Amino acid sequence: MASSSSESAVSERRGIPGAQFVEDVQTYLTQSGLDVGSALAFLQERLQQYKVVEMKLLAQQRDLQAKIPDIEKCLDVVATLKAKKGTGEELIADFEVSEGIYSRARIEETNSVCLWLGANVMLEYSLEEATGLLQKNLDNARASLEVLIADLQFLRDQVTITQVTIARVYNWDVHQRRVQQAVATTAQD
Amino acid sequence: MAASGSWKSGSGSSMGLERMSVEQLKAVKEQADLEVNLLQDSLSNIRTATTRLEIASSALNDLSLRPQGNHILVPLTASLYVPATLHDSQHVLVDVGTGYFIEKTMPEGKDYCDRKINLLKSNFDQLVEVASKKKNVADEAGVILQAKLKQLASSS
Repeated sequence: MASSSSESAVSERRGIPGAQFVEDVQTYLTQSGLDVGSALAFLQERLQQYKVVEMKLLAQQRDLQAKIPDIEKCLDVVATLKAKKGTGEELIADFEVSEGIYSRARIEETNSVCLWLGANVMLEYSLEEATGLLQKNLDNARASLEVLIADLQFLRDQVTITQVTIARVYNWDVHQRRVQQAVATTAQD
Repeated sequence: MAASGSWKSGSGSSMGLERMSVEQLKAVKEQADLEVNLLQDSLSNIRTATTRLEIASSALNDLSLRPQGNHILVPLTASLYVPATLHDSQHVLVDVGTGYFIEKTMPEGKDYCDRKINLLKSNFDQLVEVASKKKNVADEAGVILQAKLKQLASSS
């Protein structure tokens, strides 16, 4: 006899529960002790939960995808400042005073930069320290993005499995009703 | 006199709405609501743009008070600042859109911002007027539609 449901290869990933693929609906309903309506309601609720988690993960992904280019740009700037160091050459930069308004500043040889860390905190770092910190942040952001993409892939698989399960349970119910109807018709005849 | 004239035209438009069928009224109301929403979006965009320009104007004012060679922290990216000195406190670059930047003196820059603010404010006032008229039309159509639907319900 086929088992009612074969567990997904991963039962859970970072707090996201794995969906069960139902092979035999009858056995699944018997084992879970649910009727068709309750089973469908449970599966629909699980599907909604997956959708909510997906929205959160997509928001995190967008944030990281915006953050990575910014960190890379910071690293490029620090590298430029390092390269200019010791040459005695000054750097003229146009900076944004306000949206659409730019002014000109002269950057003389500098050994430090200020990094905005958020929460109204800005710290001064030497060029070497800044490079180290930014590189570490970049590596962390890239690693987080990779994990996030894997989570999203896992989540989409679970959504697909759940949708297929809903369809199978619903179709099984329709089939059962038809069988019962046919039996009733035969009995009447 | 003008008031009575406008009252007459308003009454005329409501008479026009009275003659319409339920389907036509629904279409008119939907169209009016859509236009009101679009106008509301435009108004909020204008408000945002005006605020931005006012901030730019005050920033220019602040910058003009600083002497050349003044020490400042320059933002090279959104989160990276370096110590530098003000190279030219009398000129600024103004982004006029489509990738064009114009170098202006401080007074010219302020004048540019003020002119843009005045233009946006006049546009805002005009849009508010149009939006209120459209809203009145939508409300009127809604009231007449409700009355007609009640009439149909009672007759059936």
